[in-house]
Amino acid sequence: MSALLEARGLGRVLPGDPPVTLVREANLVIEPGSFTTIVGPSGCGKSSLLYLLSLIDRPTSGELLLEGREVSRLSGDERAQIRLMKFGFVFQFHFLLPEFTALENVLIPIRRLGSLGEVEARERAMHLLDRVGLAEKHGKTPDRLSGGERQRVAIARALANDPVLILGDEPTGNLDSQNSARVVEDLRHLAHEEGRAVVCVTHDPGIAELADVRVDMLDGRIENILDRRGGAAAAP
Amino acid sequence: MIGRLGFLTGIALRHLSKRRRQTLVAVSGVAVGVGFFLAVSAMMIGSQTDFVRQLIDVAPHIIVSDEVRSPTPQPGTRVYANGAVQLHGYKVRTEARGIKDWQAVLAAANAVPGAVASPSLTGGVTLRLGGHDEALAIVGVDPEIESRVSDIEDKLRAGNLRDLETVQGGIIIGEEMAQRLGIGMGDIVAATSASRSRSMRVVGLFKRGNSQLGSSSGYVLLREAQSMLGRPFVINRIGLRIPDPYQAEDVAARLEQRFGYKAESWQERSADFLSLLVTRNVIMYSVVSAILLVASFGIYTVVSNSVADKRRDIAILRSIGFSEGDLQFIFVTEGLMLAVIGVFCGWALGYGLMEILGSLNFPIAGENQHVPLDRSPRQYAVAAAASLFAGAIAAWLPARKASRVDPVDILRGAV
Ligand SMILES: Nc1ncnc2c1ncn2[C@@H]1O[C@H](COP(=O)(O)OP(=O)(O)OP(=O)(O)O)[C@@H](O)[C@H]1O
Ligand SMILES: [Mg+2]
Repeated sequence: MSALLEARGLGRVLPGDPPVTLVREANLVIEPGSFTTIVGPSGCGKSSLLYLLSLIDRPTSGELLLEGREVSRLSGDERAQIRLMKFGFVFQFHFLLPEFTALENVLIPIRRLGSLGEVEARERAMHLLDRVGLAEKHGKTPDRLSGGERQRVAIARALANDPVLILGDEPTGNLDSQNSARVVEDLRHLAHEEGRAVVCVTHDPGIAELADVRVDMLDGRIENILDRRGGAAAAP
Repeated sequence: MIGRLGFLTGIALRHLSKRRRQTLVAVSGVAVGVGFFLAVSAMMIGSQTDFVRQLIDVAPHIIVSDEVRSPTPQPGTRVYANGAVQLHGYKVRTEARGIKDWQAVLAAANAVPGAVASPSLTGGVTLRLGGHDEALAIVGVDPEIESRVSDIEDKLRAGNLRDLETVQGGIIIGEEMAQRLGIGMGDIVAATSASRSRSMRVVGLFKRGNSQLGSSSGYVLLREAQSMLGRPFVINRIGLRIPDPYQAEDVAARLEQRFGYKAESWQERSADFLSLLVTRNVIMYSVVSAILLVASFGIYTVVSNSVADKRRDIAILRSIGFSEGDLQFIFVTEGLMLAVIGVFCGWALGYGLMEILGSLNFPIAGENQHVPLDRSPRQYAVAAAASLFAGAIAAWLPARKASRVDPVDILRGAV
């Protein structure tokens, strides 16, 4: 299977005195339909790597190929357009816009892309909320939703423009075990049943066990990649 | 494209709807600025227009007189125009005053489209009644033409300009002069010039408001003035009225260039007053700019608070895939919306203030007068343009900051 996203010697150094190395020499292949987790102790650079993979941050060395094309050195607007069309994000804290209802939050990326008419856009957003079981709460603003519900709205929003890659930074970090299990089930479904690639940073060993690929990080470096599908681990 | 901008505008609107009080303050700032600008400028421009109209109407728009601005060159210099001629101690020939070949000047003046030119002869006489003398500048005119060139007819308190033609030796003088001489309508008075003397009958009395021009002059028939002053067929002044008074300077310059006689436009005549008006306008626009500046501080505060509060949302939108331009647009739009609402409220306020001002009566010189107001839509447009411009700048400064927020910094801080 060909790679969706490939990191080659990816590095990120914060300029300063002394400079801080967040990520060093990361090599990683993300394939469609795979569920990848990134694990490691706090402060080892998991989030930093995720920001690089999601084109939110720029690497200071190495390259990043999306569907075979170098994307890390594109302009800000070009990278924004890629995020809009191909990526979806779920963060530890829900990160919904407080002035907007659940439905409107899901509608934001759809409207920004502008490829659907207003009626189809609303239908799609309702459908996505229905998927995460929140259709009847579509008119509520985030402050009227529980933590688990907000996180599910965030997942619905991440799916708004039918992305090929879903990125999560501890999406279950703030949830109890029941809600957490539900979110993980959703993410697995997205990878295995819908063929999207899912990459998640997590502290939860239970989630890491369920993943196809487990990336172990230590001190800004990828220590080991465990691929449970084909068995063999690709050494960094 | 339009859809996207509409969508971004919707986000801006939603932001504002959550900060009602600040929005209200910023909008009132703009509204008060616009409203008072409209009221003040209506008064300033209104009174200015009124005043300028008086300046224009008090005398013909252009007066061609028999004066010249520089002495005529001596014959020697005239003949050798490009030669190195220097003359000393020559005797200047005395030339008879009066506009030479005035028919040609009159024809040229009348040739200006829509213009009416009235020839006249002025000269000094003395009015004498009993032992009382009054110096008087008589103006000999053709009543029919003169009435179309100057506003003398409107200023007549008694009599009629046409009466000069029907009454032998008729004269029209100012009310004050008549009072000083102790005469009234129909009375006879003796007039003496350097060459002759005759008795004249008062057929009209005029009153000039703020002008000294008319108080010691008197109108007679042109023929009468010519014979009285001993200068038959001579005129020394041509008054000109043109359809657009603001063309007066150009027309005057053309006539002067062609005939050499001094042609004075009303602008030149009133240069002092006009420069005073310029100062007034400078003061007005400085005050207004200050008001708008203060109003734009309100907008700046709202937008920059909004940007500061929304750093997290900005990071979300950026990570979802909104561009820097999108973010800038959202926050500039917030500022512009405040300005637009402020402008509309300000228009209403300004309109209201003008209504109030317009209904007031001020007793001036014993007469109840309305405040002259200029209610042209142009001032509304000027106020709107200035506020929108100030609002856009005030919003753009913080908006630029919003677009530069690095989502990574926010996400790191929050996660
Ligand atoms: N602006 C910064 N200046 C200096 N050091 C920084 C800065 N941002 C992050 N770091 C450091 O970079 C390292 C990697 O941070 P990162 O957020 O990627 O870790 P993480 O693996 O996601 O940790 P956690 O599990 O706690 O979320 C940390 O040691 C952090 O202290
Ligand atoms: Mg982290």
